[in-house]
Amino acid sequence: MGKRVAIIASNGGIESAYKVLNIAMAGVATEAEVAIFFTFDGLSIIHKQSEQMLKFAPGHEHLAEGFTKANVPSIAQMLEMAKESGVKLIGCQMTMDVMGLTKDDFVDGVEVGGAVTFLDFAYDADVTVTF
Amino acid sequence: MSAYTVDKSIDCKGLSCPMPIVRTKKAIDEIAPGQVLEVVATDPGSVADVKSWATRTGHQFLGTTEDGGVFHHYIRKSIPEEQKPETTFANVVDNDVLASKLGSDALILDVREPMEYAFGHVPGAKLAPLGQLERMLEGLKTYADKEVYVVCRTGNRSDMACKILADHGFTNVYNVIPGMSEWQGPVEQSEVEQL
Repeated sequence: MGKRVAIIASNGGIESAYKVLNIAMAGVATEAEVAIFFTFDGLSIIHKQSEQMLKFAPGHEHLAEGFTKANVPSIAQMLEMAKESGVKLIGCQMTMDVMGLTKDDFVDGVEVGGAVTFLDFAYDADVTVTF
Repeated sequence: MSAYTVDKSIDCKGLSCPMPIVRTKKAIDEIAPGQVLEVVATDPGSVADVKSWATRTGHQFLGTTEDGGVFHHYIRKSIPEEQKPETTFANVVDNDVLASKLGSDALILDVREPMEYAFGHVPGAKLAPLGQLERMLEGLKTYADKEVYVVCRTGNRSDMACKILADHGFTNVYNVIPGMSEWQGPVEQSEVEQL
């Protein structure tokens, strides 16, 4: 069996979103099974309004130009590719409740689960990363 | 024919990590086992990434060339049965024996593809890709009673080549196992040394 990568995305912001999705895409490209657990501000990465919600950290705004120059795909494009490649996207039910979000606030293909749903996947993971 | 003939080429120029790898993975799924994929990229990170990716996924990384900031990576899609070579030709020697034959009168015949050969072969080895071997037999006749060491990557193609040679009257043929995948000796990178 191939490798398994479990990622926790708990921060908002464009930088975090790229870290999460780059590792996820590299994971599936190396034939790993990848799941991302989105919790707290990380939920903004899978939000339908992610473009408005994800901002650069203060003082990092100048990076926008670099991202364009380096031809980096947008977060929405990355997320679409991740879904197409079979990355499992799990929204954290508890933080959704706390933040007043429902499944309808997220892009299609997100499943909702609790900590055990993620752990169930992570117990058999070869790599676990948190952003 | 150039040694750098490929079956498919993808253009990843201007793309940054992880896109060249994502495209590479997609492209390799679209070619047949044994075929060669060329990945053209400008991302310097792709030099290490493509190699690691190939090693991790079991495909054969052939090598990278650079031309003015543009990288050409070459990957040969793995053939499942090559991973576990089933060799049936009786005369078998290991890589150490081959190493001891460098510079001797023995013929070292490399039966891999031209690109594999170009990125690194045993010094003095002659190229005779397995698929072309039968057509090249006439030119090899003078070696029919000489020592011939046949090498490929894992011992599988060379096994078949040894049988072809034996069937055509070559009497002193040895299959080198495992071959280039484990070769620790000197290598030459050069264009094809034709017979």
